[in-house]
Amino acid sequence: MIIGFGMNATSASHEIPAAGATAAEHELPASGPAPSLARWRPSRPAAIAFFVGLALTTALAFAALALYNRNEKRLLGLRVRELGLVLTATVPSIQTPLASAAELAAATDGSPQKFRAFMAPYVGTSRQFISASLWPLGMPRPAPSAVVGAAPVLARLPGQAQAFFARAQKTPVLKITDILRSAHPSLGYAFTAQARRRGFAVYAENRLPANRRSKLEGNSAFSDLNYVLYLGRSRQPSKLLVTSLNRLPMRGRQASERVPFGDSSFTLVVGPRGSLGGAFFKDLPWIITVFGVLVALAAALLTDRLAQRRRQAERMALVLDRAAAENRQMYAEQRGIAQALQQALLPDELPKLNGLRVSARYIPAASGIDVGGDWYDVVAADGHRALLVIGDVSGHGLRAATTMASLRYAALAYAAQESSPAALLAKLSEFVSGGSPDYFATVLCALIEVDPHRLTVASAGHVPPLLLDHGHARFVEFDVGAPIGVAGGEPFQQRTVQVPPNATLVAFTDGLVERRGESLDAGLARLRNAAAAQPPTLEGLLAKLAGDLASEDHHDDTALVGIQWQT
Amino acid sequence: MADLEGDRVAQVVIDTTVDPNGVPVIVVSGELDISNADSLKSAVNSVTAQRPDRLIFDLSGLRFMDSAGIAVLIGATTEVSVVHLRNPSEIIKRVVELTGLSRVLPIEP
Repeated sequence: MIIGFGMNATSASHEIPAAGATAAEHELPASGPAPSLARWRPSRPAAIAFFVGLALTTALAFAALALYNRNEKRLLGLRVRELGLVLTATVPSIQTPLASAAELAAATDGSPQKFRAFMAPYVGTSRQFISASLWPLGMPRPAPSAVVGAAPVLARLPGQAQAFFARAQKTPVLKITDILRSAHPSLGYAFTAQARRRGFAVYAENRLPANRRSKLEGNSAFSDLNYVLYLGRSRQPSKLLVTSLNRLPMRGRQASERVPFGDSSFTLVVGPRGSLGGAFFKDLPWIITVFGVLVALAAALLTDRLAQRRRQAERMALVLDRAAAENRQMYAEQRGIAQALQQALLPDELPKLNGLRVSARYIPAASGIDVGGDWYDVVAADGHRALLVIGDVSGHGLRAATTMASLRYAALAYAAQESSPAALLAKLSEFVSGGSPDYFATVLCALIEVDPHRLTVASAGHVPPLLLDHGHARFVEFDVGAPIGVAGGEPFQQRTVQVPPNATLVAFTDGLVERRGESLDAGLARLRNAAAAQPPTLEGLLAKLAGDLASEDHHDDTALVGIQWQT
Repeated sequence: MADLEGDRVAQVVIDTTVDPNGVPVIVVSGELDISNADSLKSAVNSVTAQRPDRLIFDLSGLRFMDSAGIAVLIGATTEVSVVHLRNPSEIIKRVVELTGLSRVLPIEP
């Protein structure tokens, strides 16, 4: 029991986190990432900008480095040659006293006094030589016959001395010994001269500096260089004469020069202590690197912001597109609703009277979502008379529509009691008196009598109806009263006219003839001409007039009613 | 209803002055229709608030007027006992005539 319980608990505790994790994974993408720095990822163009900047920086830095290296190498080459020349220039200061002393010895047959007197100024600490001596040549064991200064080291090395003088005897040039190993390692120079009986060698020595270390003086023209000077061509440590370095061999950039010295030579190796071309050029690659990385970062950030702006703009454009589409749809819907309402406020069907043909059209404005204030009604007063009411409430919208509806139903109610158009208009005027002065309505009322072919019309500010008779069209002329809702007009007048057989009456609202920048008379004349040119079928006529209007960008609603006598 | 596309919005200029006889004159120029009739209505309201005996609409510069414009002129007649139109063009004159308003909105003698 306990085991079973525990197992259940264990299995449950395994499932719960698993289910939770699954749910979280599903939710996260849907809720959208929160805008936090941790989630910030540079856009692709930003990354490209950064890496291009980095690549350019690297290339520039390497170019600067290569230029720097080339320049340093060239400068070092120049410096080593200069230093070599300086070294070469020291040869005469050694050679000249020795050569002169050798000639003197030959001339005086090796006089030690003369030799000492001549060489004394050249020998001593901080003079040319530390030691000078006169050696007669051709002896079985070479030994100096006169010495100035310290005892020559060579005198204690008979083997080396013999070999050296044997070599020195041969040519009248400055001879250089190998490094003479002793308590004070030294270097020796000799110049020989041949007298009649025997030859003499004038020999001088200089001690090599302690540990062969010697710094150049700080104010020297070569203080920016490290140098190593070897005797001969070899760079072996055993041939080291002097160096400014504490440790050998020299590392890093270096250049060497061979400097002839007597019958031997020196090998001069130099390296720069710092930058020969100046610190700026040495640092230039680093400056370029740091600056370039910063510029690349800035470019990446800028690109990222631009990319973000662009994304935002695209998103905004999408939103605007959608809003515009919704707007269009809403407009279409509202226009549909307005037109449906308009249709609902118009008669469903027109009465059928013997001997009369009745037809009507309603043409909404070319655009807009408002309900217009135009209406019409044809009611049968009795079997052979019909009453036509057509009207137009000023303005548009719901108020015009409700006013129109109340006027329409009032007119219908009065039409049931009253068949005189003027009386009907008077009642209608009474009905609205005391109402709002903000609107008015033009109304045309006509009584159509079938058999006697008679027409009685009265108008409250409404455009006159058109009467068509076999291709001849004219407007019915009579006194027009003030619109409904306007106080101070004359009492309504009505006029009765006899109409010819098969005549057609066309009543309409001003939307059919009212044009901007044109007089109403011009509009009426245009309508009259268009109607006169039409074949006398009622449907054809109304279709033509409505079609003409629909082809224009008309801004007002228009109602159109046609009544045709069939006999 | 003004055109939704707004490609043909009427332009009207309304100016209110007082003539030498102390009669307020509202000068209306351009085209007056449902899209801008309200601006004339506010001009009329500010004038009628002074309760003048007489009001003149100078329509010499008016080229077009629809029923909304007429409604504003008619509205003025309910506030001011004498309203005259000054120099209406033939077009405007015919609109007033055909609407049966020659008596309500007489032309200035």
